[in-house]
Amino acid sequence: MKARDQGEGDRNTGLPNQLMATNFFDQEGAAYFGELEEALMHGVAGITSEQEETSFCTSRPPTLEIFPSWPIRFQQASKTEGSTDSGSVQNTISQMNSEESPGSRKASSELSGKQKEEVASDAPQTNQKLKTQEKRRLVGSTSDKDGKELDPKTLKRLSQNREAAKKSRLRKKAYIQQLESSRIKLTQLEQDLQRARAQGLFLGGCGTDGNVSSVVFDMEYSRWLDEGCKNTMELRQGLEVHLPDADLRVIVDKCLTHYDELSQLKATAAKSDVFHIITGMWATPAERCFLWMGGFKPSELLRVIMPQLDPLTEQQLVGLYNLQQSSQQAEEALYQGLEQFQHSLANSVAGDSLIESANVGNYMGHMALAIGKLANLEGFVRQADNLRQQSLHQMHRILTIRQAARCFLAIDEYHSRLRALSSLWASRPRENLMNESAVAVTTELQIVQQPVDGHFSGF
Amino acid sequence: MQYQAAVAWGYMAAAMEGLNRVERLASESAVVVFSVSTCCMCHAVKRLFCGMGVSPAVVELDHEPHGDDMARALARLLGCHGPSAVVPVVFIGGKLVGAMDRVMAAHINGSLVPLLKQAGALWL
Repeated sequence: MKARDQGEGDRNTGLPNQLMATNFFDQEGAAYFGELEEALMHGVAGITSEQEETSFCTSRPPTLEIFPSWPIRFQQASKTEGSTDSGSVQNTISQMNSEESPGSRKASSELSGKQKEEVASDAPQTNQKLKTQEKRRLVGSTSDKDGKELDPKTLKRLSQNREAAKKSRLRKKAYIQQLESSRIKLTQLEQDLQRARAQGLFLGGCGTDGNVSSVVFDMEYSRWLDEGCKNTMELRQGLEVHLPDADLRVIVDKCLTHYDELSQLKATAAKSDVFHIITGMWATPAERCFLWMGGFKPSELLRVIMPQLDPLTEQQLVGLYNLQQSSQQAEEALYQGLEQFQHSLANSVAGDSLIESANVGNYMGHMALAIGKLANLEGFVRQADNLRQQSLHQMHRILTIRQAARCFLAIDEYHSRLRALSSLWASRPRENLMNESAVAVTTELQIVQQPVDGHFSGF
Repeated sequence: MQYQAAVAWGYMAAAMEGLNRVERLASESAVVVFSVSTCCMCHAVKRLFCGMGVSPAVVELDHEPHGDDMARALARLLGCHGPSAVVPVVFIGGKLVGAMDRVMAAHINGSLVPLLKQAGALWL
């Protein structure tokens, strides 16, 4: 209870962000929960949803992200108490049920360990069961299981339990209401986005040199990125809650299909504007730095990802090593083909009279030849994309489903960090003095470090 | 009518000729690559085999008699009808492997090397 008082004292200095939230796998978690509950109760007691969001989101988008995480943490916290619950929480509603338990868990911390276990193990069950069991245990009788008469102290504790349970129920109601309103907001936003995109197509088409397909591709790509974010979140959650393999497989297959989609989009765009694809104008600068034939280099990606896939069996290591080797060979072959293409194209463009002014016929003839050769470039981009796809599929074949999930998560995370790097680089302060700029960049990195970590671990 | 029949028969004969030549050439060596001398993708597939230590037999369709017939026969074998170039086409052990994408897919999923070994094009 001492910890709880301390918690109350800190209450008004603002809620801890996700970083601090990661540190409460211990008994102090109870104190933190108390704090959070108080704040939430204020939210439920009639403050507008806007205020609610600001009162417990520090630098982050809607509360939707906060909630799913702490019931899971509670699961882990209750596990550390040695409870018998299963931990295979399937959806947020059942997670919310576990959230009811902190209230009664905290208040009943002085109750016998057996009763504590009962409460914790009730977590995955439905709301109704929990209510009736609580009722039976706390509200119904004035005597405990042993049939003895209870003293006023125990009665007081029981009433506190009832209060906590009531608070939990109200909290749950508030959360569900928030979820519903957020869902409605989300669908509205998506509709607005669709409309804006449709409008953007006309605006963008006028803006560029009339090449509509590259504009269309850019829009499709940004939509693809958004879908990718959703997949990444699902992967992360699926891994965190230890989904059974069958369910995880569905998510992993979805990710694989997602990458297939990008190959399709690129192939379509390359037919009309191969330069846009192969020069990576659709990608961020940092990604462009690593660009290989219009996308990532499979052997390089494998090299980066593989050390983080441990533990791997001997057979898997051999398989992955072979994959790296064969993709290197294929990459080398394609690259040499591309080199020969470049030689041939350069020869066509140069023609035979760069210095003497060539007659128009000759000039146009060479240009026509060059344009004819350019058609082959699309083939190289297609083969490179094919290579990327085959590599991803082969990784999927070699790894177990959990490993594959982690693998795709790693790939998504790596690319999103490259994109973040581009943004950071673009917004770095450019001072005159070198020292100042060095300091400014490092402090900026430090400031960014925390929320960035929090953001990525927030899922 | 007779003339039309004769023309049709002429086409069929040429197609048969092309297919026969393709099959004959494909079975002459362990690894056969049908290519065009100026094609850069053909260069890529040749480099791929050389990089693996395989020396394929290369048939340059633009230097062969009946090269067009063979190209048409290959297009029919691959099932492609579009204007995109049909070459390179790879045969291993007399059997059709396919165009560049099939060859690369086979290499990545690990089935190319056993195929080459089986045909005797690769040792070790």
